[in-house]
Amino acid sequence: MKLPYYPGCTLKDRTSQLENTALAAAAKLGVELQEIPNWTCCGAVYPVSETRIMNLVAPIRILKEIGESGADRVVTICDFCYNVLKRANRAILDDDVKRTRVNLFLSDDDRRWAASGRKVGEGEAYDGGVKVLHYLEMLRDQVGFEKMAAAVERPLENLRLAPYYGCNLLRPAQEMNFDDPEDPSIMEDFIGHLGGRVAAFPYRTECCGSFLGISSPAAARRLSHTILASAQKNGADAVVLSCPMCFYNLETKQKELIREFPGFQPIPVFFFTQLLAFALGRDAETLGFEEHYVDPLPLLQERVSA
Amino acid sequence: MKRIGVFVCHCGINIAATVDVEKVVEEVRRYPGVAHAEHYQYMCSDPGQKLVQEAIDKHKLDGVIVAACSPTLHEVTFRRASENAGLNPYQCEIANIREQCSWVHADRGAATRKAIRIIESLVEKVKYDESLTPLSVPLTKRAMVVGGGVAGIQAALDVANSGYEVLLVEKQPSIGGHMAQLSETFPTLDCSQCILTPKMVEAGQHKNIRLLTYSEVEEISGYVGNFTVKIRKKAAYVNWDACTGCGVCTEKCPKKVDSEFNCNMGSRGAIYTMFPQAVPNYPVIDRDNCLYFTKGRCRICEKVCDLKAIDYEQKDEVVEEQVGAIVVATGYDTLPLDQLGEYGYGKLPDVIDGMAFERLLSASGPTGGEIRRPSDGKVPKEIVFVQCAGSRDPEKHLPYCSKICCMYTAKHALLYKHRVHDGQPYVFYIDVRTGGKSYEEFYHRVSEEEGVVYIRGKVSRVFQDGDQLIVWGVDTLTGKKVEIAADLVVLATGMIPSAGSQALFSTLKLASDENGFLSEAHPKLRPVESIQAGFYLAGAAQGPRDIPETVAQASGAASKVIALFSQEKLFHEPIVACVDEDLCSGCKVCISACPYDAREFDEKEGIVRVNELLCEGCGACVVSCPSGATQQKNLTDEQIREMVKASLGE
Repeated sequence: MKLPYYPGCTLKDRTSQLENTALAAAAKLGVELQEIPNWTCCGAVYPVSETRIMNLVAPIRILKEIGESGADRVVTICDFCYNVLKRANRAILDDDVKRTRVNLFLSDDDRRWAASGRKVGEGEAYDGGVKVLHYLEMLRDQVGFEKMAAAVERPLENLRLAPYYGCNLLRPAQEMNFDDPEDPSIMEDFIGHLGGRVAAFPYRTECCGSFLGISSPAAARRLSHTILASAQKNGADAVVLSCPMCFYNLETKQKELIREFPGFQPIPVFFFTQLLAFALGRDAETLGFEEHYVDPLPLLQERVSA
Repeated sequence: MKRIGVFVCHCGINIAATVDVEKVVEEVRRYPGVAHAEHYQYMCSDPGQKLVQEAIDKHKLDGVIVAACSPTLHEVTFRRASENAGLNPYQCEIANIREQCSWVHADRGAATRKAIRIIESLVEKVKYDESLTPLSVPLTKRAMVVGGGVAGIQAALDVANSGYEVLLVEKQPSIGGHMAQLSETFPTLDCSQCILTPKMVEAGQHKNIRLLTYSEVEEISGYVGNFTVKIRKKAAYVNWDACTGCGVCTEKCPKKVDSEFNCNMGSRGAIYTMFPQAVPNYPVIDRDNCLYFTKGRCRICEKVCDLKAIDYEQKDEVVEEQVGAIVVATGYDTLPLDQLGEYGYGKLPDVIDGMAFERLLSASGPTGGEIRRPSDGKVPKEIVFVQCAGSRDPEKHLPYCSKICCMYTAKHALLYKHRVHDGQPYVFYIDVRTGGKSYEEFYHRVSEEEGVVYIRGKVSRVFQDGDQLIVWGVDTLTGKKVEIAADLVVLATGMIPSAGSQALFSTLKLASDENGFLSEAHPKLRPVESIQAGFYLAGAAQGPRDIPETVAQASGAASKVIALFSQEKLFHEPIVACVDEDLCSGCKVCISACPYDAREFDEKEGIVRVNELLCEGCGACVVSCPSGATQQKNLTDEQIREMVKASLGE
């Protein structure tokens, strides 16, 4: 199965281990994720203002190109990209004014691109026809968790994993329609099908601080510490997540948490795709742990049979 | 040629300021058919009505038109006045020159011309009006009350005390409803069972009340004064005629089932009575949980019953009854916790709702009146009450206010503090609504004198952390977030129509609103009746309310029933459809057009006949009839044609 894939900026730069493991695992499961050509930044955050329609041009152009290439869906791994693309698509589907104006902006755009010799499309209006999928949804719906479980070579039996959802996958609930925002279960299902044990903890849907990690780092540290401490209190060996921003706050920033919160014990954090690739047979040394502050390798070596 | 009198009302300045009433009288006087015309300040007043009566006599009028306000206001008034003067009331018509003329136009000249045309068109109608007699219908003076909570009990008692027979149908094995589950009632802190059980017993023993508990209404047909209802009496597997309610069987039953009456915090047997003061005090067997019915074993109840009252072979019985009026008092339930994701979907054992807290408070409850939390029986020292759990939330849950929660939460906090002296109650609220008598004083006492901490803000989340519950709220008055580690959380969940009521309302063909509550005929002026004739509403089935309002409304509904029954016969408006048998070809198109099932095909004659008692005069059949065979009395096609011509000035 071949599916169009939109990586987004962060996966190419800061969190290459997320992309590597995701593509490799998908391939192992029979899905070829084909990076779409000439993609641009999605905008990173869905516009808060209802009237800034210009801000929708970035994500919609991406979706329009995918639609014009003949595909009806796109897979993305970064939670922020997923949130922006899906909500922008929803806006086009639901709101006549936004759909007309964004398409108007894009058709001007087409003429300029055409003049530069680059063909973008015939200038047909985009109507929201491309479905935006997160990698987890792809695993559950296109591949199937059962099929994924059958391909597992190294079940994660002795690992107690705390699934952390963050915000972008689940909220706003009516637009994202990804899972129950109060009591989601897709990541628990995912962990279970890899043979792992779930350490349930109450902060799995609370915000890690997001961009406050850069603009108000003290506030973000407080939020992140609460999340990690709760996971540990509930018996987690490691935290599993999918969002590069959450990774930054919950993993990279542990360096600062040690200083600020005496008694804080560092805890390994995995991208779910790293665990997936590992369970499917990839060697632990090739999972990109060099990007991590807290090296998860010892944990894997100790707990999971080779 | 008919002799028609026209009476033009000034209606003070309402009509006269815009319409030149003198000119109208002058013009209309000349119109063929008009034998007399005059104007007067206020036609609906006593002297005004006398003018009509005197003119009928003096000018030998056989038709009357009152040109005034809308017929919905005074058609009945003037028809009665005409009748008293010896004129058939259906020869009196209203020309609406207010709502349809003076109130919607500004140009005096044009409005006056229009008023004249309106009156002239009514003259054409009256020319062809027939003298009609209202149809009389016999009346079964027996009421059915559906629902045996405090509303149903009160309504039944009031009707029964007026000398009429009442069937009180209740789907649970005992009457009493939710009020029987309460511990104390606000603001007096009366013991709920103590004030309810006398009424329950009275209803159970009243010579005019027949209790049909463990029964449900299955089918209904007929119309006001003449309903036929089918009621299913569910098999109790106990012969209630032999049983004396001694209770030995319920004591000896080995099976333990979560008690619904105790909100699943205590248990009952598979053979059980709901509570000790149940009326009737006879047990039923829950066959889904009974060891005999599920596994073929046990039969201990049969063995210990000296009176041989256990009967495993008993079957449901469907009875058919005739009643003349129906009071619907099916009550409420509270929003199930599994709807509230923010508060744990009902999966957290120490997050309970208000009704469950009542059972903890109750001396006959699962903890004997000691406040102990469900998970480990510990006495909670930090207790959080969350108001508006599901109510006032148009985005996710119920858009409306459930009215009683502010008061019962204050009551709960007070009673808790009286029993757990070193405990600390917190109440999160948006507003505190205390509209009833002595309610504000009660709340004042609780919030100022009893050490209950009131925090203004909604609770966004409740989750388990170890053996405590973390409650996240906000204090909007200081702008700060609040986090409380609680031992027990009580949610004041919203009131919703009781389970199964939607299906029942469909069976009874009763209108309900967008929240599933029964719709009244008029929200301000007709609060205890349905728009469907013969149906009356009482209690929380119509919307959230407290006990005093419920009891008052139940008596109100009963008074409507009594008024209905005080007539010898019922009268039905005669402006019904009729069929010219020579013109009817039996095409039957009209039958499907009729919303009231009032038309029947006569196989033998090959024509359609109208059941005049069911016909509501809507006119749909007249429109649908291709041959014009069906007409409506005093609204014939011919009359309407002439009226249209007159209003166009032809």
